[in-house]
Amino acid sequence: MSSTQKVSTYCYQCVNGPDMLTVEVKDGVATTVTPNFDARGLHPADGKVCVKPYGLVQKIYNPNRLLKPLKRTNPKKGRDQDPGWVEIEWEEALDTIAGRLNAIRAESLVDEQGYPRVAFTTGGAATPYFYMGTFASFLAAWGPVDQSLGAGGTVKCYHTEHVYGELWHRAFTVCPDTPRCEYIVSFGNNIDASGGVTSVRRHADARARGIKRVQIEPHLSITGASASEWIPIRPKTDPAFLYAMLHVLLHERPLTDLDVHFLKVRTGSPYLIGPNGFFVRDPASKKPLIWDARKQRAVPFDTADADPALLGSFNVDGLEQGADGKTWEHQGITVTTAFEHTRTLVKPHTPEWATAICDVPVATIRRIANEFVDHARIGETIEFEGRTLPFRPVAVMLGKGVNNGWGAFECVWARTVLMTLVGGLEVPGGLLGSTVHITGMDFDRMASVVPHPDGFLDYPFNPTDKEQWAAQPQVRHGHTTLIPIIGGGLTSQLMGSTVLTWMRLQGRAADSWGKPKPPDLWFVYRCNPNISFSETDKMGETMATFPYTVAFSYTQDETNHFADLVLPEAIDLESTQLIRLGGTHYFEQFWDSQGWVLRQPVVKPQGDARDFTWISTELAKRTGLLEAYNTMINMGAAGLPLKTDKYDFSLDVTRAHSVEETWDAVCRAASADVTDGQADDGLAYFKEKGFRVKPFPKINWYLYPRMEDLNLRFELPYQERILRIGQELSARLHEQGVTWWDKQLHEYEALPNWKDLNKLWSDAYEKAYGIRAADYPFWLLTARSMQYAWGGNVSLQMIREVAANVAGHDGIMINSKVAESMGIEQGDRIEVTSPVGVTSGRALLRQGVRPDTIVMVGQFGHWKTPYAKDLDMPSLNNLVPMNMDLVDGTGSAVDAVLVKIKKLGSKK
Amino acid sequence: MTRYVMVADLNRCVGCQTCTAACKHTNATPPGVQWRKVLDVEMGEYPNVDRLFMPVGCQHCSDPPCMEVCPSTATGQRKDGIVTIDYDICIGCSYCAVACPYQARYKVEEARFAYGETPTATEAIRFDEGRIGVAQKCTFCSDRVDAGLAKGLKPGIDPEASPACANACIANALTFGDLEDPESNVSKLLTENTWFRMHEELGTDPGFFYLWNEK
Repeated sequence: MSSTQKVSTYCYQCVNGPDMLTVEVKDGVATTVTPNFDARGLHPADGKVCVKPYGLVQKIYNPNRLLKPLKRTNPKKGRDQDPGWVEIEWEEALDTIAGRLNAIRAESLVDEQGYPRVAFTTGGAATPYFYMGTFASFLAAWGPVDQSLGAGGTVKCYHTEHVYGELWHRAFTVCPDTPRCEYIVSFGNNIDASGGVTSVRRHADARARGIKRVQIEPHLSITGASASEWIPIRPKTDPAFLYAMLHVLLHERPLTDLDVHFLKVRTGSPYLIGPNGFFVRDPASKKPLIWDARKQRAVPFDTADADPALLGSFNVDGLEQGADGKTWEHQGITVTTAFEHTRTLVKPHTPEWATAICDVPVATIRRIANEFVDHARIGETIEFEGRTLPFRPVAVMLGKGVNNGWGAFECVWARTVLMTLVGGLEVPGGLLGSTVHITGMDFDRMASVVPHPDGFLDYPFNPTDKEQWAAQPQVRHGHTTLIPIIGGGLTSQLMGSTVLTWMRLQGRAADSWGKPKPPDLWFVYRCNPNISFSETDKMGETMATFPYTVAFSYTQDETNHFADLVLPEAIDLESTQLIRLGGTHYFEQFWDSQGWVLRQPVVKPQGDARDFTWISTELAKRTGLLEAYNTMINMGAAGLPLKTDKYDFSLDVTRAHSVEETWDAVCRAASADVTDGQADDGLAYFKEKGFRVKPFPKINWYLYPRMEDLNLRFELPYQERILRIGQELSARLHEQGVTWWDKQLHEYEALPNWKDLNKLWSDAYEKAYGIRAADYPFWLLTARSMQYAWGGNVSLQMIREVAANVAGHDGIMINSKVAESMGIEQGDRIEVTSPVGVTSGRALLRQGVRPDTIVMVGQFGHWKTPYAKDLDMPSLNNLVPMNMDLVDGTGSAVDAVLVKIKKLGSKK
Repeated sequence: MTRYVMVADLNRCVGCQTCTAACKHTNATPPGVQWRKVLDVEMGEYPNVDRLFMPVGCQHCSDPPCMEVCPSTATGQRKDGIVTIDYDICIGCSYCAVACPYQARYKVEEARFAYGETPTATEAIRFDEGRIGVAQKCTFCSDRVDAGLAKGLKPGIDPEASPACANACIANALTFGDLEDPESNVSKLLTENTWFRMHEELGTDPGFFYLWNEK
């Protein structure tokens, strides 16, 4: 008798999840994925899922899948070496790992250089944490773990937005208030390919009601396709366009056209700046001073009834506090406001100045700046959950390629200042932050709002003063030593300069710190840094030097080719985990509800694939860490605490618990969490119902009400703290003889000066590689593949089949006319060469790409992964240099590269 | 009277291929066969370029050229407008595939699987020998429509009575419904928006409408 059932689970293959889905199972075999229609009206996209989870069924049954633990028998590692894999039992695999871990523990958890002996690398912007069960509890029980060996983060992410966004408005990621927004200026923000189901749905709805989106980008992207207008800007010139917009607002429009009230009371615009660049402060209270236009004198910023001046020069007395406690007392000096300083900064940056840089007509730049102001509806309000809030339906968005590396600080700063000029930051209709990582827990952005004495949001900068500065790096990229804005929290390691780690391991950076030893044991999970990072050939050579690598793997791939042990995990549709749902999270994940959703085995794991919670518990048992591991789970490392003053489902810490026991306790705690302690339903409930939620107040989508309640200001436009921290950091590093970070220190500016990025790149290449930059006339860029990004699905036939319908998945996009002038026809093989690498692929002639730009979609270039290695898809990654001159002050770089091209052969 | 049609809103579609994948799941089509897919179309010359995404498949014409040329009467048309193929009658002559101006028909001569000759577990239990050597195409998920109707559900409104592609569409770009009902979802969309149909000039009266607002 045939039986068919539907099983509820979640997809979190990208940060825009989790999305709920159901899988139909026929006679024990998973057959089809469908949306979870029980989530209609609850999930912002009505329970739908994107194309990626449809690949999960094939993912289970892919014959290339690894289903037994494998151990390496060839001690020699190299791309040309056969690892000599031999199948072993889990018992042997676990004993081997435990043996190594116990030996490390017996010696010391950190090596003689002070770096953790155990390292862990994962990808997908930490989404793997929602597939690895309780492994985070095991790592927490273990102690110091180096997570600085990145898989592409800080190069492939919105890095500068992450850190500065979080400083300014608790915005690790940002988005427009799309349900209400009416005008978006998007600098390459590819939301329709990268924003997940909710974003796609919200933007489609917005288009249906007439939103206008101007897409400014070198290549007409998926998102550009649905924009109202495409403006093909020259690569890496976005700061010039943004500064010209600032110029129009600050020099061509009267002040009364801007949101003067917002600038006066919700920003640092009226703060007075002293001759040394620091705020002029009240000598007694040390509070920054503003000029009260009503009383015609300087008063502390929080003086009631003051009318803060934005424009003008003023004669004041006051105190400046500089770096390392240095102070200056001033009597009768003439100063002006942060707002005036900003006007001065952008004065030369007219649209006429920007036009030649950006290759965009003057009139277009000016028109967009003016349209932005005109659509902002300054002065209008909206009633929102019983509160009157400003209504500013405009937003400026930035894409990934402008959001990291040099120039990103200028872009993120200019964008956020533009939003303050129209009062559109964190208000209905405007630009919103969505989650936090550095300042607090990702699910509770509001709780991270802590006031700073200067009237801004407080921020956990890593200390730069003499007493507290972390002179000794704790992990291989030294984020607490080098990058104060990264903080020192749970996820900060992931945001340090991962380029620096790999370059140090290769002995070509941070000379005065010496070359670090590789970790004694490296865990790699759900990532393939030897494909997804830069200079991948060199990356592989570095991996080959690692003494012992344990890769949790789906198939053989380019990273586990260098591993010593390869372990098959139970994948998405085979294993158990409960995770948070809803609230506010990455990008456009704003929900009216919040709660918990279960991933459960839809079918039994294939072969010897094992649930990660089982793997973690076994490792804890064998390393004598069971009690600490269980304690971590009880404390909340598996999602939420198992014991509070309202409930207690904590696990007995003295014994091992099965996967089901563990998640039953977590499910019970989750039930209590959403019912204020009333319910205690466990795993069985979630297996049947799938998810459980409670309402989430929509007013918490916006930070403005909380800022208003606490009378706080957004720390814009003037970065006094950044200036001070930069000077202190410079002093600390120089005291240690560290000069190799000097270029990065230049970024610590109170107001970011515009830089010629095309020149910066050319100069860096000419210096490092002895080439003539003019010989590399094209920018090679990449673009998001929604079908592949973060899915770990490059070996799935069905994904390949459907992705091939989208341009760019079978070749290198090049402007048709340029190709014609070079004798290149559709389908011809072309060679693309950068100063550090070369690749080739089929030419895909397109009109929607600038003549000076070529595009390689996604991340391919596989040479080992079954199926993927036969796709003949080039990757830009091996062509992108790791180069310290291209790492910015926040530790990030960008995956764009100057290249030359030539025709290799014709289609036949 | 009922005529089921599909409305694709080109201002909503982002070309993500979720409908393509959902169709492949629901209809168990072999590699390379896509009853529903989305084309990536570029128009104009740099820098004045438009890019749009266009869901395509069988247009369920009211005067289907494929039916006219079918020598075996395998291609038929239901009272509700859905164009059908009876695999038992089809002789695999491919006249229909040639006649279809929408390139909506496929013919697979031998069993084809994702990873070579051996089917995966899913492919093994879903393989249909009856589809080998015959013409195949989108059915508007007529089996789902019929099963839904039998339960008293409304096609285009209730997911259980609607085609998989429309159910799956994350942009709400695909809407299925009854053109003959002036109050239906599709009728309202066609009244309130400008639209076109592909190859209108051929007089096939396609049941696939594209909403499209010129920029």
